[in-house]
Amino acid sequence: MTSLRIFVIGGLMSYRALFGWLKPGILIPTLVFTPICQILLFAYIGRSAGVGDDEFYVIGNALNYAAIPCLFAMSFTIEGERQGGTLGIVLTTPARRLPLFLGRALPVVVNGWAVAMIGVVGGALLLDVHIPGGAWPSIVLAVVVTSASCTGLGLAMGAVTLRVRQGSTIANVVFCVLLVFSGVNVAQSDLPGWMAAVGDWLPLTHGIQAARLLADGSGLGAVDGLLLRETGIGLLYTVAGLALLRFFEDESRRSASLDRV
Amino acid sequence: MRALLHQQWTCYKLQLKVLSTSAFEGFLAVLFPLMFASAALLIYRVQDDPESMQYAGLGAAIMGMWTAQGVVAASMLSRERWAGTLELVVASPAGLGRVLVPATLAMSTIGLYCVVATIAWERWVFDLRLEISSWPLFVLSVLLTALTLALVGYFIAVTTTRYRYSGTLGAALEYPGWILCGFLIPVASLPAVLQPLSWAIPTTWGMAAIRSSADGGSPWGDLAACAATGAVYAVLAAWLGSRLVESARRHATLALT
Amino acid sequence: MTSDLAVEAVGLQRTFVTHTGVLRRVRKDVEAVKGVSFHLERGELFGLLGPNGAGKTTTIKMLITLLLPTGGSARVLGHDVVDDVREVRRRIGYVFGGDRGLYERLSARDNLRYFSELYGVDPRRQKARIAELLELVGLTGREHERVEGFSRGMRQRLHIARGLLHDPDVLFLDEPSIGIDPVGARELRATIGSLTDVGKTVLLTTHYMFEADELCDRIAVIRSGEIVAEGTPTQLKGLVTAGRVLEVETYGVAPEAVAAATAVPGVRSVLAEDRGQQQVLIVQVEPGAEVTQAVLASLGAARVGRVSAREPTLEDAYVQLVTG
Repeated sequence: MTSLRIFVIGGLMSYRALFGWLKPGILIPTLVFTPICQILLFAYIGRSAGVGDDEFYVIGNALNYAAIPCLFAMSFTIEGERQGGTLGIVLTTPARRLPLFLGRALPVVVNGWAVAMIGVVGGALLLDVHIPGGAWPSIVLAVVVTSASCTGLGLAMGAVTLRVRQGSTIANVVFCVLLVFSGVNVAQSDLPGWMAAVGDWLPLTHGIQAARLLADGSGLGAVDGLLLRETGIGLLYTVAGLALLRFFEDESRRSASLDRV
Repeated sequence: MRALLHQQWTCYKLQLKVLSTSAFEGFLAVLFPLMFASAALLIYRVQDDPESMQYAGLGAAIMGMWTAQGVVAASMLSRERWAGTLELVVASPAGLGRVLVPATLAMSTIGLYCVVATIAWERWVFDLRLEISSWPLFVLSVLLTALTLALVGYFIAVTTTRYRYSGTLGAALEYPGWILCGFLIPVASLPAVLQPLSWAIPTTWGMAAIRSSADGGSPWGDLAACAATGAVYAVLAAWLGSRLVESARRHATLALT
Repeated sequence: MTSDLAVEAVGLQRTFVTHTGVLRRVRKDVEAVKGVSFHLERGELFGLLGPNGAGKTTTIKMLITLLLPTGGSARVLGHDVVDDVREVRRRIGYVFGGDRGLYERLSARDNLRYFSELYGVDPRRQKARIAELLELVGLTGREHERVEGFSRGMRQRLHIARGLLHDPDVLFLDEPSIGIDPVGARELRATIGSLTDVGKTVLLTTHYMFEADELCDRIAVIRSGEIVAEGTPTQLKGLVTAGRVLEVETYGVAPEAVAAATAVPGVRSVLAEDRGQQQVLIVQVEPGAEVTQAVLASLGAARVGRVSAREPTLEDAYVQLVTG
């Protein structure tokens, strides 16, 4: 019971407390205006280069931009504890660590999902892309899965920032890696082989492929393998993140490594 | 005059030092456009047409200049305010422009560094050798683009300073600049409503001049337009800057945090 | 496992390994706490005094399970701080000074709600408990405001409310009064003093001697990681100086004159304190010795103002213990 409350209520409160972008003055430029611009940028580049169609870029970039809240918000909710001096207090509580940290991921997934959907809908409207009405429910699902797996990567990154700091810099770098390697703007088959191989182990790659197939009219049955793969990769990063958090906490008791601010 | 130049040179050197020791400006300002340039080149590469690769390679090289200027300039005065130094700067006998211009010139220098880094990256990773028919004209065009972009940065710094989250606003300017200035998308292929916006930015003319000097055309017309639009930004910024200081003294908004 | 003691530390040690140098990393062991032993009875208010870097916070961090001791052992309410982590955490509260350690963007009430969840406070009791604590620390009426607008004193009181949420039996207060104005500090002392009335055990560290004197039942003075004295405030004052303290106001006294005064038979130590234009010599006198005339004579040409004698304070004892 306590753990469930920590997961749901505690998670939501940590997100509110530590994610500093929840003001209209930051939220709208960052999570509404900019993703639409990124979609337009690459759609126009695609047109000039004569590669791909608008739908390809709308889906790829909308889902890519979900990584911004997933990476930044998730790592802020962990790194912020340290900056605010609250980490020590949180770590002296008897709360179970699994719901404590996983609970923070829940609002982040919702945030990432919302940003990606704004991108898909906004981009489709602006560029006059037609996506069949029946495809939307399964696209919504594919976006949920993709946001969740990106948040898994965000959790792993957040754990790293407890020791490395510079969370924003790392998040920006990871975002760029996703942009180039996970088939956002170039089909994975058109990427150099080594890049495609890296993309196979990143979140986003399979989710984007699934969402594109769905928008082209495929049924859920045709993409279940891709979505499963996306989920699996997200889980992999989540488990790695939780293990790192556990390791850092134990190590901090031994060497006071989390005390130095 | 000598004193002015000395002041500008000293401020420029110090601002460059500040910028190059910061993690964001030093590292991300190069990495971010470099990665986007790579993404764009990967798209162009699919068709494997040397002419469009030359087009994309030139634009991708100049893209980074916009990031180094727009994103950073917007938050410059805010950062001074957070650090508590904005009041000291305004209280000094030098005018605001004399403080801001060397700072934005320093950002343009980082931008020039981006240009060189991207050209090297294109050679190394994409095996793309840019054809430059006249190196002197090319370098001149790049330098004038950097200079006028510094004036745009001066304008951005002055106009965004009353906005609390100006850093965010600066980041939000990045993509529109990349879309509008003809780095990777020909201005003529943009929707007609956006084209006048493109022409109002000196960087668009600068980019055109850079392309002409690389492809063997005459860049002089574009260079003149670039210089003229740049001058308009400088005049506007100087006027707005004095208004800003006046209004800040009246409404006590300088120390606002 | 039960124990009558609230806190028991036996030979507690903590060594940190640091590295210096960039190219050739040189390993260096720093002993922050060198085997301290003390205990707190239940319901006791125990003070841990010492200069910055003496090992107070390190000691507390070991007791609240955030840091593993490198030697010795400690128990809180009979539970080992290394092995019974959750049992210890359930029963202790931890409050530190300064303005960090709160979620700036949340209101005071939300800060308390959050930690209620982490401590597993019964949801049905939560609302009443938070209201009760806000009342106790005098923040009723301000609970909906975001913490970023709070003054230091308000933040500190909120910290204390947070530390009490789960009704812990033992509270660790690490320099809670640091940087608070005199009125706020007085209110804070009243709050801390009332904690033992309701049966809490409190371990307090502070730099303010009058605070320790007023609040603590017993005090341990820690210096360079070792406890150099322990006892009631009265015992400590007696331990150091059974004699009296002579205060001499002077203007422009030379260092040689201070040395000469120190040499006077019956004088234990002389400390010159600058107070504005004058220097005040604080002369610790051995019991029974009469030194006033001799000290004044030793000052030579320096102008002398008021001369007074007083009983030693805890601060005199402290200064002597940590500098001696």
